[in-house]
Amino acid sequence: MKLLEPLVLRGRTARNRIVFGPHETNLGRSRSVSDRHVAYYRRRAVGGAGIVVIEEASVHPSDWPYERCPSATASVDGWRAVAGACRAEGALVLAALGHSGGQGSSAYSQAPLWAPSRVPEVNTREVPKWMEPADVRAVVDGFGEAARLAARAGVDGVEVNAGQHSLIRQFLSGLTNHRTDEWGQDKLRFACEVLTAVRRGAGDEVIVGLRLSCDELAPWAGITPDTAVEVALGLADLVDYVTVVRGSIYTVSATRPDCHTEPGFNVDLARAVTDAVGGRVAVIAQGSIVDPAMAEEAVAAGVCVAVEMTRAQIADPDLARKVAAGEAHLVRPCILCNQACQVRDARNPIVSCVVEPSSGHEWEDPPLDGTAVSPADVFVVGGGVAGLETARVAASRGHRVTLAEATDHLGGMVRVASRGAGRDRLALAADWLESECDRLGVKVETAREVTAEELDGVAGEVVLCTGSRAGRRTYEVDGGAAVLSAAEALADIAALPEGPVVVWDPIGGPIGISVVEALRALGRDVHLVTPDLIAGNELSRTGDLAPANVRLQAAGARLERRSLLRRVRTGAVDVEDRFTGASRTIGAAVTIDAGYRLPDDALWRASGEHLPRAGDAVAPRTIHEAVLEARRRVLELETRA
Amino acid sequence: MTATARYRHLFTPLRVGPVVVPNRIVFSAHLTNYAQDGLPSEQHAAYYAARAAGGAGLIVTEEHSTHPTDWPYEKLIHGFHPEVIPGYRRITEAVHRHGTPIFAQINHNGGQASSMYSRLPVWAASPVGDPLFREVPKEVDRREIAEIVAGYALVAEHCKAGGFDGIELQCSHSSIVRGFLSPAVNVRSDEYGGSLGNRARLLLQITAAVREAIGRDLALGVRLCGDELIEGGTTIDDAVEVARMVEGQGLTDYVNTSIGVATASLFMIEASMQVPPGYALFIPSALRKAIDLPVVGVGRFKDPVQADRALAEGHCDLVGVVRGQIADADFAAKARAGQVDDIRLCLSCNQECVGRMGLNRWLGCIENPRTGREAHDDRVEAAVGAAGASVRLGVKPKKVVVVGAGPAGLQAASSATRQGHSVVVLEREDRPGGQVIGAASVPSRAEFGDLVRNQVRDCRQLGVEIRCGVVADRDVVLALEPDVVVVATGAEPQRPYWAPEGATTIVDVRDVVEGRAWPTGRVVVVDELGFHQATSVAELLADRGCEVTVTTPGMVVGQDLGITLDLEHWQVKAAAKGIGQRTDLVPMSWDGAQLGLLHHPTGQMVDIACDWVVLAVPPRPMEELYHELAAVPGARLRVHRAGDCVAPRRAHAAVIEGERAGELV
Repeated sequence: MKLLEPLVLRGRTARNRIVFGPHETNLGRSRSVSDRHVAYYRRRAVGGAGIVVIEEASVHPSDWPYERCPSATASVDGWRAVAGACRAEGALVLAALGHSGGQGSSAYSQAPLWAPSRVPEVNTREVPKWMEPADVRAVVDGFGEAARLAARAGVDGVEVNAGQHSLIRQFLSGLTNHRTDEWGQDKLRFACEVLTAVRRGAGDEVIVGLRLSCDELAPWAGITPDTAVEVALGLADLVDYVTVVRGSIYTVSATRPDCHTEPGFNVDLARAVTDAVGGRVAVIAQGSIVDPAMAEEAVAAGVCVAVEMTRAQIADPDLARKVAAGEAHLVRPCILCNQACQVRDARNPIVSCVVEPSSGHEWEDPPLDGTAVSPADVFVVGGGVAGLETARVAASRGHRVTLAEATDHLGGMVRVASRGAGRDRLALAADWLESECDRLGVKVETAREVTAEELDGVAGEVVLCTGSRAGRRTYEVDGGAAVLSAAEALADIAALPEGPVVVWDPIGGPIGISVVEALRALGRDVHLVTPDLIAGNELSRTGDLAPANVRLQAAGARLERRSLLRRVRTGAVDVEDRFTGASRTIGAAVTIDAGYRLPDDALWRASGEHLPRAGDAVAPRTIHEAVLEARRRVLELETRA
Repeated sequence: MTATARYRHLFTPLRVGPVVVPNRIVFSAHLTNYAQDGLPSEQHAAYYAARAAGGAGLIVTEEHSTHPTDWPYEKLIHGFHPEVIPGYRRITEAVHRHGTPIFAQINHNGGQASSMYSRLPVWAASPVGDPLFREVPKEVDRREIAEIVAGYALVAEHCKAGGFDGIELQCSHSSIVRGFLSPAVNVRSDEYGGSLGNRARLLLQITAAVREAIGRDLALGVRLCGDELIEGGTTIDDAVEVARMVEGQGLTDYVNTSIGVATASLFMIEASMQVPPGYALFIPSALRKAIDLPVVGVGRFKDPVQADRALAEGHCDLVGVVRGQIADADFAAKARAGQVDDIRLCLSCNQECVGRMGLNRWLGCIENPRTGREAHDDRVEAAVGAAGASVRLGVKPKKVVVVGAGPAGLQAASSATRQGHSVVVLEREDRPGGQVIGAASVPSRAEFGDLVRNQVRDCRQLGVEIRCGVVADRDVVLALEPDVVVVATGAEPQRPYWAPEGATTIVDVRDVVEGRAWPTGRVVVVDELGFHQATSVAELLADRGCEVTVTTPGMVVGQDLGITLDLEHWQVKAAAKGIGQRTDLVPMSWDGAQLGLLHHPTGQMVDIACDWVVLAVPPRPMEELYHELAAVPGARLRVHRAGDCVAPRRAHAAVIEGERAGELV
């Protein structure tokens, strides 16, 4: 495979073309690259990554974009530790360097933001300070000094950010650079000065890469694929590689979108850059490339010389090792949900993954690999994610596992949710768990209802993963009025009764939105009723908040915001304005409740309220909690046994 | 007049169980986000000590979590780890140095939490999703209930070992106990659900366990919610009954009160200036009639006269003053000394205290740059208490000219004067205050004007000369022969590209609130700032009879009003005043009768017919004077700048930069 061939950059050899790209992790302690970073990156190096790029560090005190964003001056020891740990495992290590400019935050520094021009940050509306020549020189010097520190710390290279959240892109772009001085007349000037300073600071032995936004998706003034080629040509001689990304101040979520955007969305863009500058500089592609076959195709077709597979290696740290061993089919797939790995959020969540919850917690979680000292018989009730993961982990550790599932298929609620619009990748999580259970010899019995009496007769360990049931209704329902749970509706969405549909979404997560979109795709008249001021209120963490609202409005879904569902009548619903109490009526042949569910704990109660449970049977939540709890139950049963 | 004559009740001592509280002013519990890695920090000690030094009668710390399943926000103190005890000692020793008693609040937030930090299921009475966190909790079983009770007892022991004088149980607005008490979220059918007696069972088990743990030397208090302000929630009658049960048990020494649910009706817990002071007094009043235990009243007490009156009228025995003492740590001491006018009054703006909490940032104050920085501050204050003539000693005095008497300039002036320099402020208008004057001219925002009142008072006390009506150009400034100039000239309204030159019916918010423009008829207010500017002027114009629509390119009009807890008030008032709100619209053109806007999600153009357009858009910094002065040849003159003339932002930035500019002198 081309993807597995070594890659030489500035005389340094990466063992393969698989890159773990730079991303926010919140693993720092204060503003330094920490022991938690070391454990996180070492795990990817152990897993076979060719190049590991450390989370971006700010090069100047005027930049403190999120609380635990590393600063270059505080990260020297951390860089050294990561470099030592990862190089020992065979990976090259690069330090990402940057400055967020007007896209930063003043909340931590309590100082003005610095930017080329006074263009407000889109979300906070904060107006930055226009950088005076001395400020520009200070940041250029900061880049040079940071590169010098990084090289001294022993990294193989540095990657300079002119992609999303970057001052350099703000200078390159007409959206954000309205200057009339030399940095405005020549928009490349700042980038050239930075890269020159970086090379001088880093020395000639060290790789210098550039992360470059090649499409700001704002053609009226932003960088377009055509102008990006000019930029790449202008900067090519100053760097060893260019990683092609996209996005601007107006399209932050397009840089690392979730499953609503097709994987590999930047491949054409990367090809265009390769066509223009490929002879002079290495081009690296990224953009939801999570499938090893797609990565191989990109390299084999000459789109790029290497591929960033960042989220894919958060989901499976062993991706590269498995591909190299010819076991690409065993890679745990990234479902591009962004629910746990996207952490640029004021709450400082630690980077993790819904299907691999140990990601980000390598420093604290007990290892799962290995074999149980005394293999046991394990009986798992329920074949959703929690049950499958329990069975998979138990079997992998040498236990003899039987899994009983009441329905005729495995995958539980995830299969149902995957029928929502844009969410089909969710099913990959269930597919992988099923095939792993099969490979590991789990005995699966579908269409098998388990009773408490049967459990009495089970020798060995039992884990209940019985999932959830429909939730409590918080509104009146007239006799004969049709109300379905979101799960019931998604089970066969084309079979809903004729007429207008109301979707009640008190949660604001992905499910209600995906039901509405699925219905609009069928041409149905749909009203989304939400108590929030924004549809899909909780989607900001995944980056789908603005895109979802655009999709809903473009599709013609009717948004009934700040509204409470009060009563479902035959043919209509009564809703109430949350602030004024005014009520109004909306026609509805059927109402779909996308609200909270309840644990299906009947078997747990009937069997004496003592058996271990995992996942929705404890409390209906997400895949993440189901996987995490399943693992814990397996390790616990070993300590009990 | 002496303080005792002015305040008949405020400065009388009160026995609370085994503790004698020297006066009735309580710095009650509130989140600070000062914890580090789950432990109390040096900043905690310095913060509470400053309020003890400033004369508070009783301090109650922020909550300490009682169990690993409780981790709703990142910077929570994990009281269940014994490692907290040294930090507790640091706090209690610092506070006791001033003779002030300090209690620890201990709590489990129950279902009002997420599993994001804990990676454990959230525990609650019933599996009812919380309206803020939106995660279904695990219904706790009997074994887990016993674990919860044991957690409270363990943390109480840690607090005792840490030197606290008492324990307060937060059972009021974000608590597993509150969740059990509330019929809105407790739907259990066992002995912990159903009747009020059953719902209060957990509370009474906890008070018993905690009393057992702490003995009789420490005070024990229970904080109860008098009205959850949610559907089917706890109301005052339930609260009175629970207070009677608590008293009847004979283990508790006082009852604190609160209103609202932190994750549903927070805007009434930490009410902004839109809610009248003392709005929650009906709660302690009702409880005090029913029980003999001392009762604490809270709810936007911001001046000592009002606090004393609440005591005089018998509503409560103690008064919680939180934001008042965040804004001025010496609130109590100044009141006691009869210097009530010297108190830096809280604005109840919620911008840097409440507003930073929800965003996981350390607690600060819009008008007190020292708040949140007590432990970092190495400045030497020559006197604590009244500002008076307290100046830093041993500094070579310089002659300072400050240009502009907005929040930045006034803060720079007082800051530089405190450093021992001689300061003159030049202001173009006929009175100090800058943009604050107009912002506070809207009725529901009047208290924002106290920002300037407080700063001017401070400047006068310090002997700063403020010259109004002076247009300060380069020559005027240089004629004063300053050593240092601080330029704080602010920002001026700026018209967007699409507004035609000379269109007289397109005006800025400031033109309206400062009285230069008088829109009538149909008015569109364009909100590109997302804060009070657009909503304030919309209300003002609606009150004057205009037909008002507010548009925004964002998803919500006045998006940041949520941070300061003004959003609910705005929505209610906007509806009552008939103000329309339209979102996702980018203004593109104006032909004198129609405002043309792009609906960006669909790409469709929308026209709104109107008579006037009022712009809430970013202004332009007035930075020319700074550059002219910075270019003056010779090394002698130092020039600094602060506030909107650097970049137009909100008032806190002006105050912080003003303070720093004064220090840089």
